[in-house]
Amino acid sequence: MAGTRPLFIPVILGTSRQGRMSEHVARFVFGELSKRGGVETELIDIRELDFPTGDEGSTIKNAKFSETAMRADGFLLVVPEYNHGYPGLLKHALDTNLAEYIHKAVGICGVSAGPFGGTRVIQNLLPVMRELGLVTIFWDGNFSSVQNAFDASGELTETAYVRRLDKFFKELIWMAKVLRHGRENVGIEDE
Amino acid sequence: MAESEKMICPRCGVEMNRHAEKVDYAAGLAEPEAVDPELGGVVEEFHTCPSCGQTLSRRAV
Repeated sequence: MAGTRPLFIPVILGTSRQGRMSEHVARFVFGELSKRGGVETELIDIRELDFPTGDEGSTIKNAKFSETAMRADGFLLVVPEYNHGYPGLLKHALDTNLAEYIHKAVGICGVSAGPFGGTRVIQNLLPVMRELGLVTIFWDGNFSSVQNAFDASGELTETAYVRRLDKFFKELIWMAKVLRHGRENVGIEDE
Repeated sequence: MAESEKMICPRCGVEMNRHAEKVDYAAGLAEPEAVDPELGGVVEEFHTCPSCGQTLSRRAV
C-alpha cells in the first residue's frame, strides 16, 4: 500500500574523475541517509553507468539507472564544482530520463576544494533540475575545503557536517513524502 | 476541460493519477502533425500509480 512503502532516495555520485574527493562525501551522506527510518537508499556512481558518448538523451538509456530513477521518490546529488560548473558526464546521465523524475524531490550537496562549498555548481544545476521536472529543496549540503573534511581513508573528520546534514535530510524527506502524495493522489485538473 | 481517459497501471491494474504535463518541442520536429498549434509542441502527460508509484507518460489527446 502506498502509505506503507518506504521512501526511496538514491544518492548519485556525479563525477567520474580519478581521485575524486566527492566519493568521500557521497559515501558519508549515503551512510547518514541509510540511518533514517522509513528511507531506503542506494549509492549510484555515474562512473559505473558507462553511458556511451556517441548519442544523448533517452536513446542511450541505461535500464538499471532508469528503473532506479523510476522507483525513487527523491534524489540526493553529490556534485563537485569544476570551473564553476557541473561535470558534463552527470548532465549526460541525467538527460537520459524524464518521466522518471517528474514531481520528485532533489537535494544537492556541492563539493569544492575552496571555501564556497559548491554553491556555484548548485546554482548552475537549479535550472537543469527544474527542466527535468525535479523539485529542489531549499537546503543544500556545502562541502567546502573538502580535502580537510575527511582523512585519507575517507572518514569524516569535521563532525559539524552531521548536524548540518540533519536539517538537509529532514527537508529532503519531507519534500519527497509530500510529492509522492501529490504524484499519486492530486490530479493536474483538480481544483 | 474534459478529463482524458484514465491510464491503468500495468502492474497493479488500478487507475493512475495524471499529475503533470510537459510540452516536448523537439518531438514536434519529427512529427509536426502532432504539434499542438497553440502550445507549439507535442504535449506529454505523466501518470503515477497510487499503488506502486511507477510513472508512465503518454501523448495528450
